[in-house]
Amino acid sequence: MMDNSSTLHLALPAVHTAASATAPPSLAQPRAFSTSVNPLVFFSILDHYLRRNAGQDRVIGTLLGVRSEDGSEVEIKGCYPVPHLETEDQVEVDMEYHRTMFELHKQVNPKEVIVGWYATGAALNSYSALIHDFYQKEVSSFPAVHLTMDTALTNERLGVKTYISAPVGITSKADNCMFIPIPCDVKYFKAERAGLELLANAKSTESGPTSLLSDMDNLEQSVIEVQKMLERVSEYVDSVLAGTIPANNTVGRYLMDTVSVVPKVDAAEFEKMFNSHLQDLLMVIYLANMTRTQLAVAKRLEKLM
Amino acid sequence: MPSNKELSAALDIEGTVPIHSVQLDAMVVLKIVKHCRESIPATVTGQLMGLDVNGVLEVTHSFPMPKNNQDSEDDASNYQVQMMRCLREVNVDDNSVGWYQSTNMGNFMNQSLIEHQFEFQQALSKSVLIIHDVARSSMGNINLRALRLTPAFMKLYKEKKFTTEALTKAKLTFSNIFEELPITIRNTALLTALLYELETADESVEVSTSHLTTYKSTASAPASKSVLAPSFDVLDLSLDPYVAKNLENLMDTIDDHHQEQGNYAYWQRSVERENKKKAAYLLNRKTENARRAQSGQAPLANEDVDAMFKTPAEPSRLDHLLISGQIDNYCKQINEFAGPTLGKLFAVGELQK
Repeated sequence: MMDNSSTLHLALPAVHTAASATAPPSLAQPRAFSTSVNPLVFFSILDHYLRRNAGQDRVIGTLLGVRSEDGSEVEIKGCYPVPHLETEDQVEVDMEYHRTMFELHKQVNPKEVIVGWYATGAALNSYSALIHDFYQKEVSSFPAVHLTMDTALTNERLGVKTYISAPVGITSKADNCMFIPIPCDVKYFKAERAGLELLANAKSTESGPTSLLSDMDNLEQSVIEVQKMLERVSEYVDSVLAGTIPANNTVGRYLMDTVSVVPKVDAAEFEKMFNSHLQDLLMVIYLANMTRTQLAVAKRLEKLM
Repeated sequence: MPSNKELSAALDIEGTVPIHSVQLDAMVVLKIVKHCRESIPATVTGQLMGLDVNGVLEVTHSFPMPKNNQDSEDDASNYQVQMMRCLREVNVDDNSVGWYQSTNMGNFMNQSLIEHQFEFQQALSKSVLIIHDVARSSMGNINLRALRLTPAFMKLYKEKKFTTEALTKAKLTFSNIFEELPITIRNTALLTALLYELETADESVEVSTSHLTTYKSTASAPASKSVLAPSFDVLDLSLDPYVAKNLENLMDTIDDHHQEQGNYAYWQRSVERENKKKAAYLLNRKTENARRAQSGQAPLANEDVDAMFKTPAEPSRLDHLLISGQIDNYCKQINEFAGPTLGKLFAVGELQK
């Protein structure tokens, strides 16, 4: 599959050259080189893109992260933007800025290292190759990762692609390289997951900002979700029994497994557990409220003085 | 485009419009959560940047502060200045509007926090403190609070006098140290697009390299691949760890409170003693004078009584305020936790039937 641009995008199982430079040569299979990204990185890239100077088509920045011991798994945890200038015949990257920001970031997160760079806009051109070369020098022995985010929304999606580069061609010039796509995953903490859900709820309300949910509301939403899921499943089961939908054995088995996970507890046992749990909770609530009342009374008394 | 006059009114250059709510950018929320999460159990801080428009404080960016306490003040401010300079180059609003702090189980009311916030609010009237509770957020709902010191408290803190009468005069109690502002979260349009995509994307983020270099199986159930598949952490029934920790903290704070009370009582007793001594001395004087007047001698000069019996100064009630506020906070937390938990408990009871 050849392009008209000066860089070839070819799908080749040639990760050998890049990744297994660090893997022991006795490995029979090439180790898969993959990346995982924290969604915060996407958000930052979009934010940077929104703030770009007028006339700039794409923006670049540095990716920070950690890599696994054998160098084949890279986890991209953070990023920062780097000002750069692209004209017809040359490209400039503010290296000083890049170094300064890295020093500053290191003060907060000493474990994160430079793992690559990002750019908005899906095109890969010779400038990309040059910039990639620069970053490759920064990353030293491991292959640098290049992440692109298609903010022009071609095909109506924000395509995110990650690449590493391998030299190709006869002469080893900086821009004789090939960008090989590598798989990319999205990884985050559990708490961030709650944040993402909150933001996802925001997207359904029209444009305006959403407010934080109280715990009760959050619970209510989750319960409604579960209810909906149960309804869907029971509808499906009903229609299979009525014969309108062909039965699928895998789905049926999966459902049976799920239902049997509910622990079968003897009614009396359950009563006992339920009651003791409830009593614990109520006692704690009572004590807490009593303390609060005490404080409120003290407050009134002080005011009277 | 709003005219210049409208814009300057919106931007409130004189600083007369009070802030009534805080609007956080989605990115800021994630950044705060990530930073606090990575550094538990230590508490960490960071700076917030943005602009206040029409009484709403919009926070558009944030960055974490390094947490080495041994460094001098200069290092921290150096870092901050450098960071802001760099951010300005990439067109980020470099207007500082507040700071955030992580906390564990809500134990954030202490002297250093108040001092820091006071100085911040003194320098910038439009500033806010955001508290993120890491422990509570792990239960399925992000916990963020925006706080400011009330003006009454600011005035009192400036004078540094926290006697009981000063407090009663200003009508200051532990519940109006902080005022809480509602938080809203804003998503930009591109971000909304991203969120939609993350929800539907199983393979789009994973590029079509399934036959290439990956040995991951892409044949697993689609629901688990999607980033925003529902999580049900919030439906967890365990009560012990959270409540136990909360109660422990509560008991510790009550012990502190008790100590404070002890101190106050001691002071009161010593004032009593001094007063009694003073009264006794005066009485002595009077009888002495009466006796002298009887025997025709000149009365003794009335010495300065007050200089002889110095009443000890009243201890600052600030700690007492903070401790009471903290206790109140813990109790409120238990209440807030109890609500959903009772709901869950009864739901499970119903399911069992």
